[in-house]
Order: sequence, then C-alpha cells, then structure tokens
Amino acid sequence: MSEKVRIIETKRVPHGAVMLFGFPDVGLVGVIAASHLISELSLTEVAHMDSKLLPPLIVLHKGLPHSPVRIFGNHDTLLAVSETAISADTIYPVMHALIDWGRNTDVKMMISMSGIPIQDRQNVEELKVFAAASNSEILKMVQDKGVQVLKEGYMVGPQAIMMQHCANTDVPAIALLAQCFFNYPDPEAAAELLKELANISEIKADVSKLLEKGEEIRLKARDVMRRTQHEMSKMKKTQEFDIPLYVS
Amino acid sequence: MSSKKRRSIFEIIDEYFENLSEWAERFREELIEKPTWNNRTCTIEPLRNIMVTPTEVIITVDLPYAEENEIRVEPIGSDLIEISAKMKRKIRFDEFGMTQYEGEFKTLQCQTRIPVPVYTDKIEANFKKGILEIHLPRKHREEIPIE
Repeated sequence: MSEKVRIIETKRVPHGAVMLFGFPDVGLVGVIAASHLISELSLTEVAHMDSKLLPPLIVLHKGLPHSPVRIFGNHDTLLAVSETAISADTIYPVMHALIDWGRNTDVKMMISMSGIPIQDRQNVEELKVFAAASNSEILKMVQDKGVQVLKEGYMVGPQAIMMQHCANTDVPAIALLAQCFFNYPDPEAAAELLKELANISEIKADVSKLLEKGEEIRLKARDVMRRTQHEMSKMKKTQEFDIPLYVS
Repeated sequence: MSSKKRRSIFEIIDEYFENLSEWAERFREELIEKPTWNNRTCTIEPLRNIMVTPTEVIITVDLPYAEENEIRVEPIGSDLIEISAKMKRKIRFDEFGMTQYEGEFKTLQCQTRIPVPVYTDKIEANFKKGILEIHLPRKHREEIPIE
C-alpha cells in the first residue's frame, strides 16, 4: 500500500466480501447509489482513509469529524465512498491504496458503480446499464446475466484506475456504468445501476425510496456535482465521448 | 553587464500559454469558489450547461422542486439570460442538516451568458424530468466565400 495513503480500520473488517466503489463522477451515480446502499443495507463505517494527498477537509456528521473517504461494510459487503471530488493529481494513489487494502482483506470481487453520460438524457425513458470487466471470465459472467458490455471506447476516472489495477493484480473486477446526465446529479441512473447490481451479485436494495427522494437528492448534490465537474474537466473526462483508434 | 539571456520565440509562446492557462484556472476557481445560495434573496443557484451548435444555443438547467408554471426565462440585453423558478415548497438549511446557517429558499435563480450572437426574441423552452431546456437560434454573420 502506498505510504502516502493510509487506510485506518476502526471495526472488524469482513474477509471474502464483495467490495463496491462509489466515487464522484458523471451524474454522481456512484455516490448516490453508495449513499442509498449505506442506508438500505444499514452498512456501518469500518475504515477510513488518512492522507495528506486528500484536500484539507473533514466531513462533519452529527458534530463529529470524518474522513471524506470512508469504507462501510457488513458481513459480506464492503463499500468505499468519497464525499468529495478526488483531484486528478491524487486519484491514482487513492484508488491503488483502496484496492490494495481490499486485496489484503481477500475481497472476492470489486465492483465500481458509475455512469456513462448521454446527450438528451432528459428525453430518454429507459436507461441502459453497461459493464466492463477485468478479465474474460468475469465478462462472460456479466454477459450471461444479460448485462450489455461496453465493447469499445475510453474510460476515464476512478473506475478506469480500478479496472487497470485489478487487471494487473488479478483481482476480479467489474465496472457498472448507468446511462446518465454528464453534469447533473442523476438518482434515476443510480436506481437503474442498483437494479443491475442486484442482478449480477447478491447485493440487493429496494430503490423505491431513492426514486421518491430524487428531487431532494438533486438539490442537495448540486455543490458536490459542481466540484466534481471541475475535477472531471481536469481529468479530460470528455475523452469518453471520443471514437477510439485501436492499434491491433 | 547584464546576464539576461535573450529568450527564443518558443519560450515566449510557452510562457504565453502558461499564463493563459493560469488565468483560465483562476477564472474557473473564482466561479466555483462562491456559495450557490443567497439567503438575502432566498435563492438557490441551479446547475446549468450551455451548448453551442451550428444553428442554435441550447441551455439546460437542472431545476429540482421547480413549479412548472412558475418558471421564468428572461433575456437581459443581447447576451445574458436570467432563469428563475419558484419551488414547490420552501427549503430550509436545517433540512440539509446544517444548523450553522439560518434561512429558507423559495426560488431557483441563475444568469447565463451566451457566447455567440442569438435571437433572444425567438426563445423556445421546454421542461421535462426537472430539466429546463432553452433553445436560442443563432444569428449568423455574413459567410466568407470559399474559392
């Protein structure tokens, strides 16, 4: 694990769990989905990140300080979530530290929850969820479950680093990406993603409350979305729209 | 005797672009480093986006809690649009769990500058899934003939 990033465990951490990631990205899909899972599955904080690479901030909850990057869990699920946009300069060590920590707890699978932006999103009634995987066996598994595969293209951001590091270290990993708004918080997309998560894993959550609270979430998430947009621009996130030129 | 080395044109260009990129970064920081609410005017600033196509400028605004028949789109001069929407209910700071501020918000409001000339008298707008979409046809200047 990187010396610049420490993961401090505060509770007993389950071994052999599925580890999810919900980081600020397009439509805040991952963060909204993560936040819903924490409340629906009653996940509790088991660890947090400590690093000088993170912005100099703490998040206050009920008057007590918390790291902006925390890991929640129960007996079979771990969920890493960030309440602040991670800058392009620090995203590598942050993601590597989380993945290496997950490997040390023998996670059986890592799943990144995020979005894939589409134009005219407000006119789309049925949102699709796509997947990419760290190896061909996992890719076949998601295909067999009926999930559409993201066949060609670029991936930018936390999920890109997760996929690459997991592939390099032989950790089974999936990136789940729901169609969403680029720069507006998208609770509907988060709900679609959670439905697909339930399809490919044992992690199941009722999304009705998430959809009911859609407007409240959109209003609350404006500031995180705004700052995330700033970091996405530094990461050249729009490269995901580019048509790739493959050298085979 | 001065030891100042004469700079090449490339160094001057590099410095120009470095300064330009620093300025752009500062400008972006200034835009982002301000609260998105104003408790004097009881307004919240919504997220918005602007896209320029060959024929029109499309502005979208995310308006959670907006009352559809209380949305106002108003041109201010030739290159500025003001958007305001009354919310279905008042939102208080304590609903966000914030007890350090007091106040309540009734309106979503923002202004957006339009980067190219448009016909502000030909605005069309629609509201779907909480997103306001404004279309402004572009004014095209005389085209340059290609020989």
